Amino acid sequence: MKNILLPMDIKGIKQHQQNRYPLLFVDQITNLIPGESATGVKNFSYNEWFFPAHFEDDPNVPGFIQMETLVQVFIMTFLSIDEFKGEKTNFVKADKVVFKRKIIPGEKLVVEAKLDSFRRGVAIGSAVGRVSDEEACSASFVIAVPSYLERFKPKQKL
Amino acid sequence: MSNFDKYKEIFGSAFQYEGDVTKLKYQEIPDWDSVGHMQLIALIEDAFDIEMDIDDIIDLSSFDKGVEILSKYSIALDRA
Repeated sequence: MKNILLPMDIKGIKQHQQNRYPLLFVDQITNLIPGESATGVKNFSYNEWFFPAHFEDDPNVPGFIQMETLVQVFIMTFLSIDEFKGEKTNFVKADKVVFKRKIIPGEKLVVEAKLDSFRRGVAIGSAVGRVSDEEACSASFVIAVPSYLERFKPKQKL
Repeated sequence: MSNFDKYKEIFGSAFQYEGDVTKLKYQEIPDWDSVGHMQLIALIEDAFDIEMDIDDIIDLSSFDKGVEILSKYSIALDRA
């Protein structure tokens, strides 16, 4: 496995995953142990496309974007393995989803993700997001790498 | 719990299926797709503490075929 320079900037992140504007929600990866864990940062400025709509009088980060931020850091735990670099991923399951506080313009979400299991293109693990060390959101995930699953599926319906 | 009951329970749990799992075949229910297949294999491996060969993973296309394949790993699934 090649050495990965940290912190990983947006160019490095885009080489490892296929999410793009307006749905790329990781600015930097600050810690990374391929196959084990990742820590990433997302800065939410008022220029984000969703703030004017959610909501005009009380801008805050929608829950689905918090979830997406969590999972985009999580997938770096296995997309940083050479064989999987740049692969597309699919949600299979999200569980234990908790939102504890609002995230507003100007705040920085720091996500710590842990990979519990990664076998044959199916990743299982969890992520916690914090703002100023205060827990904001968390979830556990099952994520699949569809191109990899194709290698193991039964060849035909009986 | 017998190995056969454990094996049946794995199918029920992998696919959240409450019908007769002994008749299940790949893609016969929506949950047994390529992702469900990997979840099923992971549960079988964990339950019986084995690591299956790729050829066996691809061949495991029905409940009955799985019984046959697991016998290669010295896991007897005798029906009660």
